Amino acid sequence: MNNIALGRYLPLNTFTHKLDPRYKIMGMLFLMACVFIPAGFTGYGVIGAFVLLALLLTKISIKMILKSMKPMIFMLSFLFVINALVIRTGFVVFSLYGFTLYQDAVIQTLYIMTRLTLMIIITTLLTVSTKPMDLTLGIEDLLSPFKRIGLPSHEIAMMISIALRFIPTLIDETNRIMKAQASRGVDLKEGSFKEKIMAILSLIVPLFVSSFQRAEELADAMEARGYVVAQHRTRYKQLKPTYRDALMMGGVLILMGGVIWLSM
Amino acid sequence: MPIAFEKVNYKYAPNTPFAYEALKNVDLAFEMGKITAIIGPTGSGKSTLVQHLNALLLPTEGTVLVLDRTITNKQKPKELKSLRQKVGLVFQFPEYQLFEETILKDVMFGPLNFKVPEDQARVLALNALKWVGLDESYAEKSPLDISGGQKRRVAIAGILAINPDVLVLDEPTAGLDPQGSKAMMELFVRLNKENGKTILIVTHDMEHVINYCDNVVVMREGEVINHQRVIDYFERKTQVEDIHMNLPQLLSFKEALLEGGFQFKKPIRTLEDLANAIAAEIKP
Repeated sequence: MNNIALGRYLPLNTFTHKLDPRYKIMGMLFLMACVFIPAGFTGYGVIGAFVLLALLLTKISIKMILKSMKPMIFMLSFLFVINALVIRTGFVVFSLYGFTLYQDAVIQTLYIMTRLTLMIIITTLLTVSTKPMDLTLGIEDLLSPFKRIGLPSHEIAMMISIALRFIPTLIDETNRIMKAQASRGVDLKEGSFKEKIMAILSLIVPLFVSSFQRAEELADAMEARGYVVAQHRTRYKQLKPTYRDALMMGGVLILMGGVIWLSM
Repeated sequence: MPIAFEKVNYKYAPNTPFAYEALKNVDLAFEMGKITAIIGPTGSGKSTLVQHLNALLLPTEGTVLVLDRTITNKQKPKELKSLRQKVGLVFQFPEYQLFEETILKDVMFGPLNFKVPEDQARVLALNALKWVGLDESYAEKSPLDISGGQKRRVAIAGILAINPDVLVLDEPTAGLDPQGSKAMMELFVRLNKENGKTILIVTHDMEHVINYCDNVVVMREGEVINHQRVIDYFERKTQVEDIHMNLPQLLSFKEALLEGGFQFKKPIRTLEDLANAIAAEIKP
């Protein structure tokens, strides 16, 4: 359960943390768009430099990012194998026993790798520096123009925030039940197939029971406090953009312009 | 065969911004065959401490000796299963761990995991259910259809059926009504007296400490600050007030009487002592 640290909110007090979540989400979307503009490796170099700057401003260590990339190694090697087999254009890098590796296969894999890495870092930047609650407030505000066409933006945000709110609770609960069952001799790593099924069952059934119970209790508690769906409500926390947001958005837009210019 | 902690440190989430030192340099030896209470304010490391006893947590530094085993942070999980059969750990609100179709099956789950043959596991389970005061009519019911207090009993029976030498309970009476928690504590005393089990109880209830326990371990901020016999511990009321706990009723009543001018010649340790002492005072 230790690898869930990726993308988890880190309570720091940095430039990125102080940004308005709405602009942060928009900035992230623009950066994502940049990643998909075909500007070659120069373009990715520029985006990479920008993302590196953002990492520094958020005080995230490169080490942590590298650690969170580990699970991708398998996927990337798989991708490389597929590319190597399928792509047959460009220079020949080498030829071995009738198998030929072409330059484009290598380049294509490198492209995808760069893109994925950048995307992961960009999303991590957002989630690491924004409290889940602020994130949903931002999503709610950004979706509110679509209310006119019947999109229940508040309800969507509420659902997201409840789901997010219960992730740590569920992780704790899972850990707790796992330990309790381990005390009863459950061993998730050893044992025959049947024993493993039993072990998983002993974890899932209690988890389901308590999740449903929790959901019902939460619904009651919300109703007891007068929550009505589709009711207009005010908000205690007001989001206010500052000069930092202008700075960040300016930076992102200049970057986007630059990348588009590079691609032409 | 002792249970001892030697210079144990435990850190949650080491090398992250969430790192937190839950146990600091704990040196401790539990007396076998006794009931020991572990008390202390919330967040003082009680639950972390007890999870070391069956190696659910491995010490970051130091060693834990449990029965014939030495536990350090280099242990492999494979080698720990036999330990869990000897040390039964009941978590807080253990009713959440029930999952089988019937109560009997759920209680048998533990022994079966430890490779006890099925017919023998059944006997152990029925016996354990009897211990916690549930007769055979409960055996075929669903563990999800009974009351909260009964679920707690079934969960505890689930550990008792494993027949551990040492029973560790993390706040076993939390959320039970006074009668339920009294019955529960009496069950532990019986297990201790009749079956000679070593029992460790994490609790917040000073009444339980004074009425049912032999020894007390006091924790604060991850350190063991006191380890005494219960009767000695309550001799000095400042020790109790230091950790922001209330004195047991018996002793706060005694203190009030002392303030009101009573003088007791003998030490007051039980309700009977106090009653006799008061009787001696008011009779001319």
